[in-house]
Amino acid sequence: MKSRDQEYKEIFIAEALEYYDALNRHISDLEKTPEDEQVLAEVFRLLHNLKANAKAIGYETIADVSHKLETAFGLIRNKELSFSDEVVTVLFDGIDLLGEMITGIDGPKEVEPSPALLKNLDIIINTQADSSSELSKVQKYYTSKNLSLSDLIYIQIKKLDHLMNLVGELIIDRDRIVSIGKELDHDDLKNVSAHLYRITEEIQYSVMDARLVNVGSLFNKFPRIVRDIAVTEKKEINLEIFGSDIQIDRNILQIITDSLLHLMRNAISHGIEKADVRKKNKKTPNGNVILSAQNDRDTVILKLIDDGKGIDQEEVRRAIVQRGFLTADAANDLRDTEVLSYLFEPGFSLAKEVTEVSGRGVGLDVVKNAIDSIGGRIRVDSKKGEGTTFTLFLPTSIAVKGALLCQVEENFYAIPLMHTDSVVALPTQELHEVGELLVADINGETITIVSMRELFNTDITEYRVKKSDLAGYAQNIIIVTYNNRKLGLIVDKLLRQQDIVIKALSKPVNTIEIYAGVTLLGSGKVCLVLDVAAITRYFLARR
Amino acid sequence: MEITDKKRILIVDDSFYMRTMLKNMLLDAGYDVVGEAPDGKTALQMAKDKIPDLVTLDVILPDNTGLDVLKGIKQDNPDIKVVIVSAVGQEVIMNEAAEYGALHYIIKPFSEDKVLEALSNAFKEE
Repeated sequence: MKSRDQEYKEIFIAEALEYYDALNRHISDLEKTPEDEQVLAEVFRLLHNLKANAKAIGYETIADVSHKLETAFGLIRNKELSFSDEVVTVLFDGIDLLGEMITGIDGPKEVEPSPALLKNLDIIINTQADSSSELSKVQKYYTSKNLSLSDLIYIQIKKLDHLMNLVGELIIDRDRIVSIGKELDHDDLKNVSAHLYRITEEIQYSVMDARLVNVGSLFNKFPRIVRDIAVTEKKEINLEIFGSDIQIDRNILQIITDSLLHLMRNAISHGIEKADVRKKNKKTPNGNVILSAQNDRDTVILKLIDDGKGIDQEEVRRAIVQRGFLTADAANDLRDTEVLSYLFEPGFSLAKEVTEVSGRGVGLDVVKNAIDSIGGRIRVDSKKGEGTTFTLFLPTSIAVKGALLCQVEENFYAIPLMHTDSVVALPTQELHEVGELLVADINGETITIVSMRELFNTDITEYRVKKSDLAGYAQNIIIVTYNNRKLGLIVDKLLRQQDIVIKALSKPVNTIEIYAGVTLLGSGKVCLVLDVAAITRYFLARR
Repeated sequence: MEITDKKRILIVDDSFYMRTMLKNMLLDAGYDVVGEAPDGKTALQMAKDKIPDLVTLDVILPDNTGLDVLKGIKQDNPDIKVVIVSAVGQEVIMNEAAEYGALHYIIKPFSEDKVLEALSNAFKEE
């Protein structure tokens, strides 16, 4: 909960400083036109908000001074106090004091209001336009101080999005310039472009960094949510949270918010058993749920672990057959992780048999789509009777992605590293024809192999390939993974790994579902980014 | 499994700090916050566009008085419930607000319990 307090404090300070600046502006206006109703109302409103906010967060002195000033301006509005020079001085002093106290919140020690000033404020709000009380001279300890602005600003995420897009454009041009420098073999140009490279890289990371927020800003909402679901379900849940300080792009966190909530509801409603059942199974009467975050290079791994009843693999296998996804034989051949990945299939969620038995599968395809949309992955592991773990692999940042570049004929293609598993060279004779597709046995797994050359030259629904269509003795195959399932892609040439900025495809092309977008390479060449999710889904359905 | 009967709330307050606090409280309590308006004009427009179940309405706003917003909302759609948010010392406004159909209020500084209580009381009217 600490970070929410911190967030409140930061918002309070930023807003209070805005009010302080506005107050200074308005009071200068009032010196010229003391009767201006609108300005008076505005000053009153600002002080009123400052008072209420300070009270809410617990800065009593700020609330108190704001209250006194608010009262003074209330009197001025009602013409019960005149806007005399003496009064103006006190008001100015009061507003300055507010500024001091607001900036002092984050300072080394709290700013103590001068008693003389507080007394002056009391005098002007208590004596109704009467000058019998003596206003004392307030020693202005602050006037010599330098002007200072808050170290913290608030910025709309929209502006950061725009900045990120510009950085994307910049990186593309930078790569182009670097590559021209090499082509021309021009020393000065090479030096400048090397410098440009470093600077743009730094800009890129700075912008990415500015968008990062703590995972805790989402996790901290869960104790309350869990409590509420637990009450509704009449279950006792013990929630543990780890890794709240792990950082991730704000938009990514936003996109997975509903998914995480959904998974949490499922875990408590359907995963965790009732206390009596748990006792019978020699478990603690209250269910345990762990929400954790950790970093793995450019990936943030979120886990939701419950110690509930788990998912029955055999029931899922039966449902796969019943729902017509696979034949009974094929379903029996699936590995355990592959079986569970069917829970994320659209339509599988409708499988009543499964939801009753396993309690999972309700809308998991929606969760999966959300995570796909940001280039993440999700997997589920479960042991019957012991519990279920959902693991979300999320990119730390949206715009720039690591990708593996490859070439087919004259064209370049990029495959996001999030989806690449391994790269193998396989003798052509080890590929086998099954129906209209090719498969190969790689490390004990039977994997469907797709020739990219054929795929790019035909409509995906027309795709069929024979072994004889393949040229050469051996094939370069990139193994990609999606939803725990693998697919091999035959390419002509493997190039390199590179950070790319993916742009959405413009209209006519984006109906082709095998591309996720396009990027420009340093050479100026267009490079299409493969939609691994779509391609894998399509071919596994065909198999 | 989405809770579909979540009550939809529009928050009207000119202070970002107050809106943030209120929003967090309401979201934690399972309400759906459909919008946040910092002034009267935006509030009226949002009330029209989003048709919330309930509006939390700060009475001191930069462009309108809160009461004008209250009247406007009730005129457009009398079914929208309005909970007045105001500070100590403005009880006079509350009486006036009650005349226009806002029977429940929250006094700043508010506690989470008071906020949720005011909202659930407002919904109990139905």
